[in-house]
This record gives sequence, structure tokens and C-alpha cells, in this order.
Amino acid sequence: MRREDSLTQHVDWWLLSIVIIMLGMGIANVYSAAYNPDHPNIFDFSQKYGKQIMWVGISIFLGFLVFLIDSDIYRKFALPIYLFCFSLLIVVLFTPPINGARAWLGIGSLGIQPAEFMKIGTAILLSRYISTVNVKNQNVQTVLVALAIVMVPMVLILLQPDAGTFVVFTSFFFVLYREGITFDPLVLKVVNLIPGVRFKDTWVGSHFIPILFYVVFLSIVTLLMGSNKYEFTFMRGVLIPGFYGVVTVITVIALIAYLVLRWISSKRDQRRVLLIIISGWLLSIAVSATVNFSFSSLAPHQKDRIELVLGLRKDDDGKDYNRNRAMAAVGSGGLFGKGYKKASVASVRSNHVPESETDFIFCPLAEEWGFMGSLVIVFLFMGMLFRIIVIAERQRSTFNRVYAYCVAMIVFYHFAVNIGMNIGLAPVIGIPLPFFSYGGSSLMSFSMLLFILLKLDSQRRDVLF
Amino acid sequence: MNLDGRKYVILVFFILVGSIYLIRLFFMQVVDDSWKLRAQEIAEKRKEITPPRGIVFDRRNKKVVTNRSYYNLMMKEEEIHDFDTVAFAKLVGWTPQEVKDRFYQIKKGEGKYRNPNTGKLQANYQKQRPYPFIKELTNDEITRIAPHLERFPGFYEDLTSMRSYPFSGGANIFGYLNEVSKEEIEEDRFYRPGDQIGRAGIERYYEKQLRGQKGIKYIVTSALNNAIESYAGGKYDTLAEQGPALHLGLDIQLQVYGEKLMQNKRGCIVAIEPKTGEILALVSAPSFDPNILVGRRNIGKNYPKLLLDEGKPLYPRPLAAEYPPGSIFKLLQSLIGLQEGVITPESGFPCTKSMVGCHNHPNATNLPDGIKNSCNPYFYYVMRRIIQQGKKKSIFEDAELGLNEWYDYIMSFGLGSQFETDVTGMRSGLIPNSAYYDKWYGHNTWAFSTIRSISIGQGEVKVTPLQMANIAAIIANKGWYYTPHFVRSIGNKGPLPQFKTVHKTKIDAANFEPIIEGMRRVCYEAGGTGKRAVVEGVTVCGKTGTAQNPHGEDHSVFLAFAPMENPKIAIAVFIENAGFGGVWAAPTAGLMIDKYIHRQVKDKAKEQMIVSANLLNIKAKPKKKK
Repeated sequence: MRREDSLTQHVDWWLLSIVIIMLGMGIANVYSAAYNPDHPNIFDFSQKYGKQIMWVGISIFLGFLVFLIDSDIYRKFALPIYLFCFSLLIVVLFTPPINGARAWLGIGSLGIQPAEFMKIGTAILLSRYISTVNVKNQNVQTVLVALAIVMVPMVLILLQPDAGTFVVFTSFFFVLYREGITFDPLVLKVVNLIPGVRFKDTWVGSHFIPILFYVVFLSIVTLLMGSNKYEFTFMRGVLIPGFYGVVTVITVIALIAYLVLRWISSKRDQRRVLLIIISGWLLSIAVSATVNFSFSSLAPHQKDRIELVLGLRKDDDGKDYNRNRAMAAVGSGGLFGKGYKKASVASVRSNHVPESETDFIFCPLAEEWGFMGSLVIVFLFMGMLFRIIVIAERQRSTFNRVYAYCVAMIVFYHFAVNIGMNIGLAPVIGIPLPFFSYGGSSLMSFSMLLFILLKLDSQRRDVLF
Repeated sequence: MNLDGRKYVILVFFILVGSIYLIRLFFMQVVDDSWKLRAQEIAEKRKEITPPRGIVFDRRNKKVVTNRSYYNLMMKEEEIHDFDTVAFAKLVGWTPQEVKDRFYQIKKGEGKYRNPNTGKLQANYQKQRPYPFIKELTNDEITRIAPHLERFPGFYEDLTSMRSYPFSGGANIFGYLNEVSKEEIEEDRFYRPGDQIGRAGIERYYEKQLRGQKGIKYIVTSALNNAIESYAGGKYDTLAEQGPALHLGLDIQLQVYGEKLMQNKRGCIVAIEPKTGEILALVSAPSFDPNILVGRRNIGKNYPKLLLDEGKPLYPRPLAAEYPPGSIFKLLQSLIGLQEGVITPESGFPCTKSMVGCHNHPNATNLPDGIKNSCNPYFYYVMRRIIQQGKKKSIFEDAELGLNEWYDYIMSFGLGSQFETDVTGMRSGLIPNSAYYDKWYGHNTWAFSTIRSISIGQGEVKVTPLQMANIAAIIANKGWYYTPHFVRSIGNKGPLPQFKTVHKTKIDAANFEPIIEGMRRVCYEAGGTGKRAVVEGVTVCGKTGTAQNPHGEDHSVFLAFAPMENPKIAIAVFIENAGFGGVWAAPTAGLMIDKYIHRQVKDKAKEQMIVSANLLNIKAKPKKKK
């Protein structure tokens, strides 16, 4: 064992740098968004930026602790860690609600959200469980256990209620998919009941998760775009409703995908690629059309409800208000933005966009740094995700790999939903943007997720199986 | 089962979402401008700053229209707490019910605007916005209220400016300000509800100059509408610019003096500087103190009174009253006769009294004496020569030709049409031509004998006092005039272009000499009708008039200019129903001339006689048949 040589010897510097850059940008951004002219000092702990610096300090300290501890404990103590987080999740249900949700443990502004830490516990236990399962021998029981690990906390989170974190937990299904734990045993059980049918696997059962994700994603985009009042005008006077915009985008993406795949695939596969893309294109349009037209044929009160959930309508809670103002803030950024601390819509002081330092932190960022800033943020997250996948794929142990995928999918969900709701492509559900949003719990949980991954990765050579 | 490929599915999802978001961001932030407009709508407010109106000076650089500070008592509902209605009502001198009613009125009515999208009127009352609770408090009123305001949180005073007239005169010249109407707001984007606009006189005519340039401040506001900071460091802000000062040709002291002379009389005085056409005084009697029409409360209280007043103080008599000119018209007939060559300065006509009446005087053996005696038959003959020149065989056709030639002369004096002067509410008067009589009597049915009364300025002829004064100016100038006007310079840019062009009459300068001599004799020789106009130290040339009119006693008219050698003032005085022109109008003109030229009136007895005379209630004499 050479692990005592140096704690940082095998650290993935790429990922660590991205994390550090994000933490730095996060502080700068919270300072700008929540800037209070009466307390200009960034280290003023009565202000949100002062507190954020404190949280970053605590997070880095936790990261250090993680590096000091042998990574083996996560595998060994996976169940206790999970149960500890789980018990916190139960305890929190007996606290008085804050803003309508029982999500906070602790005193005043220094509370923590157990749901955030449940993500870590679930990721660890799920990794532990999948590493012990032989995928080839999976049966109904293994699938149900894996689902239980993910879904029992989801039920408790729904009781809080915390729709955002609930949605984030569905990211674990992608991990199951990646590892081959599919719904197939369940599907086969049903399908094989038909006399004379004896399937070993079904395509729908195995690819259920990404298909579902894609359909949901496409449906939401169709609904959001389909109800777009700002319709495009083509030629003169011909209004193109938002739905055709979706069709156009699908077609363009299909064409690009075809060109790219034709370029990278062998000649032999080209017919198959063409076939897949054409069928994918047709199916996508079919799904989009179905959603669009079935929505328009819904009864008004059902429509209202869906529109409320998607934040397309003004209601007493002003959900459309938030969405519309967030989009105005982002859209007004222009190419280069209004400049640091110059956000007029999204600053906390003006309060046009509520929660602009937490859930809508992307607004001040996009308003102040413009499209260039947005580009940098999207690239940073893309870089982080790709790097995590690279790390995941180089692990020798299944535990490490599954854990890495868990981290990737959680970060991806936060990224997709948070930025999506800032630009009107996702419903407004409150989940933070990792490392950018103000708040201790999210910052600490993400730091620990990432630092545990970095620690596991730095010790990947110690693992012999 | 090959699970390795599934990492690509996940990567495709990453790329898909990442690229869709980037495309969306690119469109929202770079391509589509509608979100920028939306952001402006949300977070940036335009605040308009109204500058004080331009100041008006008279010809001796005295401020005649200026601005004075007033205070609005503002309220912000958000900050009001523990409000003691009774105590507040006592402080402002209202009843508690009035205070409550005003609250209700503000909540329902203030900030109402027409929604451009729906076309509906929408109340836009907001608790966090300040509204004027009581408008236009004077300095005295606010000093009484202000010290106690700290007991009423949410109320504070706010400075505004309103017009003030230090000389208390010239109401009919300056006009007044009032709040803009809804139509005016819709017509001109400059105005916002509550803004002031010129309603009459110079304030109205020079509204676009006087109102100045509004300043615009862009501010970043919060969701609660509080200003946070100026937008982009004030880069796009513009400063409010006060309108340029107007410099009038008016002599405010002369104006005020004229108003004093005309008290308890109906009529008007118009004085013009002949060399420039600048109006020195324009008195309309009865008149009123312009300060009583300052501010909403005053207008509400006093305007109806003025409107219903029997003396019609709001009626701009010098501009709009059309009087028969009477004997003053004889001056023009003489000039036209000379120019046409039908008479000479030495022409004499007997005072026959057969065709037109006259008073007793020796026969005039020359033109100046004709003028001095104001002999009606004399000018009857002169006019007959002008109209019936014998150029056509038929007397009807001959009269038509003669009248139309006469008409062209008269028109060149600026009669029968409106001056393009810088006030509104002017009328054109009336000068008949052949078409007019054709309509009245029929073509070729009338001759000089039909229309003879116009020879002495009666009958159909109507002129305004401003036109009369301009005739005096033309005679003083010997044949030319500038359009009479008030503003000699806007800021330092000079007058409007139409006041820089000379208008020439169709009479040669030499033909004015005998007329001027006649006017001198009117004032200085035995038998002259205007001897009461004489002023010590200057030679006054004048002409009396006694205009018969269907409304009662004759109007007393006098027209003059002085000094004879170098005319500085041309003046017309009309005193309604005051009888013979020499009695009241002539001395009034004389006092005005004295005041203007010497700044000081020596003949206090004459002054006292005019000032104290009350000519309002002279019994109307029975209508005289011609």
C-alpha cells in the first residue's frame, strides 16, 4: 500500500479545478446578486455573501476530512450512512414547517436540509448494492431492492414536500440503466405470461428509463413551446405556432445527428443508422404531436392545472411572474451582459426575480455576463459532467463506477432543471444550481459528493477487484 | 448484454440538453430583443422632470410673468399609520368628511390612465406612490402646516412652481395656465396628466417655447417601485431645460397705467411703436388681475365669475371687438383720394349737410382743414370722387370699379383681414367690396349714393382697435408697417420671421404730409376736435371719431401718434358708449402718450378726471335712424 505517500498524489486535477473555479465564481456571483451597499465588505457575515464564504470554507474543510479518511469506509459503512441520513429525513418531518415545507433541521438561518444529504447516502448504498449484484443474474428481487433504495427516501421527501429534490432522485434510475439493472425482469414476468411467448429480454424493458426521460423532456418542451404566445411570423402574416418550432428543432437535430453518425460509423452500419434516425425522428414528432393535440383537447380545468404546474399561467402564487421575470433578466443580458453588479432585473435589491440568489441564481449571472457568461457556465458544467464520466469509466471497482455515475446524474439533473427553468424550458421547481446557488446544505452536499468521488478516484489503484 | 454502449446514451443526453440550452440562450440573449424590452418594462422607469416655464420680460427688462414657488402636500399611503383624521382636518382647515372624501377621490381617480392595449381606463393607484393630497399651497399656508406634519407620518410637502404676475396687469395679453385636458394629452405626447398648458394670450401662442424641454431620468426600480439607482450611471439621462425668456415690446408700466385710466369704462387702448410694430400696450376694459387665475383652486373659484361678468373681462376687445371706425376712416379716404388724384391738398368742399349730417363749422377750403373739422359732407364728396370716377358709362358699373379699387387700397392697410400677430382670438373686421354689395343688393343695382355711409366710417365698415392703432402707425411711418406683435425676441433669437417683413401700403409717402398736417390741426388749431389730447412737450397728431352704433350711445374714438417729427407711439382709444371722441378718448390718448414719452404725467387734473370717470352706466340713447 502506497496510499500514505501523498494525499493528493492521484487526484484528478481537472475535476478539482472545475469545482474550485465554480466555488469561486459562485461566491463572486452571490456577492453581486445579494450586494448590499450598506455592507460592502464581502466578508460581512451578516450578509448572504459573507455566509456563503463561510459555507464554502466549511465545504472545503469537509473536503479535507474526506481526503484524510480512507475511501474504503463508504463501501463498508454504506448502510449505516444511508440509515443515518434516512433517520434525519424522518426527524425533519416532525419539525414545524418553514415556507410550507418541513425541510429544515437546525436553528434559524444555519439550518441544514437532510434531503440534500440523503442524495449522498442513497448514492453510496446504491453503489454498494449494485456492486454486489451480478447483472446477468438479475431477477425481480434485485430490481425491487434497487428501486426501494431510491424510492423510499423519495416518498419521505414528497411528504415534506420538496418537489425539486424528488425529481432529482429520479436521476438514480439512469444509473440503474447504465448498470443494466432494468425493468426487464418485471416486464418479462408479465410478457411471458402470454402462452407461447418466451423472451429473454425486451427492448422496451431495458431502455425504459431513457425512453421515459426523453418522452417527458419532449412533452414538457412541447407544452412550453406550444403555448408560446410569441409566435414566429413566416413570410407575411403566416403565424407559425410554437409546436411547429418544436418539430423544426427535432428535424434539425435529426439531420445533424445523421450527418455526424454517418461520418463516424462504418459503411456497413450506415443503413441501420439511417433507419434508427428516421424512426427516432418520426417517433419524436409523433410524441410531440400527441402531447400537443391531446393537450389542446383537454378540458379547461385540466389544462389550467397542467399550465399551473408548468408555470405558464399567472396564479395567486405568481408562478408565471417568476418565470417571466427570470426570462426577462436572462434575455436582457445580450451578448456581453450589463457588467458585474449591474443587473437591474435580477439583483436581490430590486427583487423583481424572487429567490435570485438561490434557485434563480442563473438570472443575475446571465444578465451581468450575457451570452458569453452563459456559454462559460454551460461549458463548465458540460466539462464537469464529461470529466466525471471519464473518471467513472476508468474505475476498476463497480462501486466506484456506480458512485461516479450517481454524482454525474445528480449534477446533470440540477443543471438541466435549474437552468431550464431560468430560460423557460423547464417547469419552475426549486432546486439549486450546484456550487452557484446560495445555501449551506446544497453547497456542502455537492462538495462532499464531489470530494468523495475525487477520493475514490485517487485510490482507484488500491482496489484489487 | 453489452452495457458499455450505454455510457454513450447518457453522453448524448448531456450533449442534447447542453446544446439545446445554448441555442435557446443564444436566441433569448442575442437574437430576440423582446426580452430586453420586457426587462426595461420591469426594472427601468422613466422619470420626467418638468422645468419651470420660461420667464416673460417687458421692453424695459422688467419681469412681467415669472414663476413662484408653491407647495403640494403629498401623501404616501404606505407610510401612513395612526392617522388622526380630526386633527389632520383641523390642521389643513377642512372638515373630517372632506379629508375622507379626498382620500377616496385619490384612490379612485389619481393615476388613472388609458391602457393602450385594452383601451380601457384603469386605476393605477399604488400605496407606495406619492400623490398630492392638497395641491398648490402658498408659502404662508405651508409654513402654518409644515411644522405639524411630523405628527402625520406619510405626509410631506413638495415644491412646485406656478405663474406669478408682479404687475397685476396685462391679463388679456399674457393669458393663463391650466391643467391639460385629456384630449391635449392624447394629441401631444409632451404632456402628462397634471401638467400645465397655456390657455390664452402669449402663454398659449408661445406654449411650445415657454414649456421648455423636459428632462428624462432613467432609474432602476425595485419590485416595490422604489428607485434604487440611476440607470447606467445616468448615461442616458437628459437635463430639463427651461424655456427661453420672452422679451416683449410691451411697456408694462404703460399697460398698467392704461388699465388704471380705463377703470369703470368699457373699451380698449392699443399702443404700437410705429418703427417696429411692437405693441406697447393693449388694454381691454374691464380687465382683471391675472394673479386670480393662478392654480387650480383659483381658476375653479374665479373663472366662472369672470365668464359670467357683464363686462365680459375675458373678451379680448382690442383684438376681437369689431367697431365702426367713425370719423377716423376719413383719414384713409383722404389718402386714397390723393393717391388716385381725384383731390389735391387744396381741394375744398362745402359743408352742405344735405346728404349727411354735420356739426357747425366753417367750410373747409383745404384737406387739412377738412380733417380738422371732421366735416362729414367734405368726405362724402371725396368718397364720391373716389367711387364714381366716370371711367364707365353706367353709374353702377362705375361704382363697382371705383369701390373695388378703393377696397384694394384699404386692404393694403391691413384692414378686413386678420393680422398674423402672436396672440389668438383675433377677428378680421369687415371691409365691403363689390361682391359684398352684389350679394346684399344685387349686381348693378347699387351706386355711391347707396353706400355713402362708408365714406365717414359708418355702415358696413368694421375694424378692430388693433387695426385702428395700426392705421395710426402707418400714418406715422408714412406708408408702411410691421405686423403688430408682442414678442420682440424669443430668448436672444429675435422675433418670429413674420414680424421682420415690412408691409407697404399703396399710398406714396408724400401724400401723407397733408393728412399729418390735418391731424396736427385737430389737436392744436381753433375748431380742432382733439384739443384735449395735447401733451406738453410733444406734438401730437390725432383724429377723433364718434362711432355710431346700434348698441346705444356713440363710441368715443381717438387715434393719434406722437411726436409728429419722430413718431414713437401710435395709439387708438375706444371707449364704448362714451359719446363724442374728443371728450373722453382724446384726453385718454394724451395721457398715455405723456406717460410713454415722459414716463411721468404732469397734468394730474386731467388724469384724475379720466380715472375717476365712470362711463359704464350711461343711458343708452334711442336708436338713431339713418
